[in-house]
Amino acid sequence: MRISSGNVLHAIGLCVVIAFSLFPFFWMVAASFKTQTDILASPPLWFFMPTLQNYQDIFADSKVIGAVGNSLIVATSTTALAVLLGAPAAYALARFEFRGKGDLWFWFISNRMISPIVLALPVYMLAMQLRLLDTHLVLILIYLTFNLPIVVWICTDQFKSIPPELEQAARLDGADQFTIFRKIYLPLGAPGIAVSAIFSFIFSWNELLYALVLTRKNVQTAPVVATSFMSGYELPWGKIMATGTVIVLPVTIFALIVSRHMVRGLTMGATK
Amino acid sequence: MSFLKLDGIKKAFGDAEVIKGVSFAAEKGEFVVFVGPSGCGKSTLLRMIAGLEDVSQGTLYIDGKNVTFEEPAKREVSMVFQSYALYPHMSVFENMAFGLRMNKQPEDQIKARVLEAARILQIEPLLDRKPRALSGGQRQRVAIGRSIVRHPKIFLFDEPLSNLDAELRTQMRVEIAKLHSNLGATMVYVTHDQVEAMTLADRIVVLRAGLVEQLGTPTELYDRPANTFVAGFIGSPKMNFLLATVTATDGNSLQLSHPAFAGGTLQLRRPAASEVRVGEKVSVGMRPEHLSLDPAKPLLSLSLDLQENLGGSTQIHARAAGEPITMVVPGRPDLSSGDAITAGIEPNNIYLFDESGLAIKG
Repeated sequence: MRISSGNVLHAIGLCVVIAFSLFPFFWMVAASFKTQTDILASPPLWFFMPTLQNYQDIFADSKVIGAVGNSLIVATSTTALAVLLGAPAAYALARFEFRGKGDLWFWFISNRMISPIVLALPVYMLAMQLRLLDTHLVLILIYLTFNLPIVVWICTDQFKSIPPELEQAARLDGADQFTIFRKIYLPLGAPGIAVSAIFSFIFSWNELLYALVLTRKNVQTAPVVATSFMSGYELPWGKIMATGTVIVLPVTIFALIVSRHMVRGLTMGATK
Repeated sequence: MSFLKLDGIKKAFGDAEVIKGVSFAAEKGEFVVFVGPSGCGKSTLLRMIAGLEDVSQGTLYIDGKNVTFEEPAKREVSMVFQSYALYPHMSVFENMAFGLRMNKQPEDQIKARVLEAARILQIEPLLDRKPRALSGGQRQRVAIGRSIVRHPKIFLFDEPLSNLDAELRTQMRVEIAKLHSNLGATMVYVTHDQVEAMTLADRIVVLRAGLVEQLGTPTELYDRPANTFVAGFIGSPKMNFLLATVTATDGNSLQLSHPAFAGGTLQLRRPAASEVRVGEKVSVGMRPEHLSLDPAKPLLSLSLDLQENLGGSTQIHARAAGEPITMVVPGRPDLSSGDAITAGIEPNNIYLFDESGLAIKG
């Protein structure tokens, strides 16, 4: 392959972007293996004796394990529900004509226009009156209201890109509406569903504001616990960074697994 | 009752009426072709037979049963789409088996039928491939195979060859014709290509703007077009028209005048000559392949614009008193641009149409 100056510049640019976005991540993981003294050393230490002490500390802390468990429950349930409800809704929006379709579509988008903090207080009061505070359910419900529009949005677009002749061919072949959705739209819409599932999972996993407002002790999620170390008289950076690393891990694994479905050209060969 | 019967079928999208009352019937085993320019409603009509479009008004019968409001699958028709519409995530085998699986056929039956269709279409080696690994022609075969396996009452084809290159199109056209004679199936075929219509059809339905212009065998449409539209549409290259004036009529002949006629007038024997009056305008239709350069009796004085060498024949573009005339003549005549030429035609091959465009019988 010929290497042109354009290619080199392109590669350098890419490396800068990658370094810029990965550096905080690297710093977090590195710090999680440092002692408090090494972390606070100035100038920063690039070479140090790694220690597992921070991880031993957080795994000894039942709060962290519990929080990761809570986060898993909330994020998985939210994502599953969002996809389960969102994908059929997206199919309807993509393929059927019905009254109020435009309004419904706008309503889905407008949900994302509201700043979450505006709703924090009303949602808190609602949850209190419904006796839902400090439960998994309240977090799942509130995250669903934020994630469902994303799923519907991305999936509608994805489903619209599937040639309508496929659905017509399936109808002539004797497939009912649900079979068409299951056998044609789900497999061919997999990339969109995967992307929206990743978004949904990451959002639910990282969300801090509502998790902070709506939980007390029982269902504190991982981000809440990570920030809870920042109280008192000292900042245990090692523990915070170790918790951060543990928090990032499941999302990364989830994204890697699901991203296998994010392939282009699934509908290639369908037409022409 | 006919096998397929359309009775006063209308279709409107909102205020726009695209099919304005189409009635016709096809017998079992017949190959019917809908032909017409784009936007004439031929595909819409086909989709209404398939059940993919609602019928706004009228009744549709298949095999004696009123299926106007029946679900597509229950009509027992199959359709080959212009875009093939293969399921891209399924293998060729699964594409063909899909309809049978939906109808809950036993597995051994499915396998037997798919293999049989694959054998007919010579796509047996492709059964494990995905559509994206197939060429255009192979995809088209799979699409046809998907229709065959279901043993439908009627095969519907929606411009199935328009995405193929010229050579493949000719080849597939022959194969579809063979398929029709082998299966003895009823087929309805939509195309804008009059060559496909002429070669494939038992009967052609010529459509324009949502109405049937003429219905008949290819020979009937070629020999006795009902109006100037059909006359111009059927036949390639297009029929030539000259607008002449009737200068004299008697019981069975009429005299026409046009500056391009040799001697200024043309005398024609027509039994229906009494239908036209002196002074009326008539369109004189002449097919390019009927015009000859060395006539026994010259008819037209032409000036040559351009000639195209087609190998065995030559297509001549000329002007007759300013109006364009196309001719197809055998061999390669020794002519050059600007030459004055004379052309003639057998009087029997001259078509006449009145001012409204309708054929003058005779």
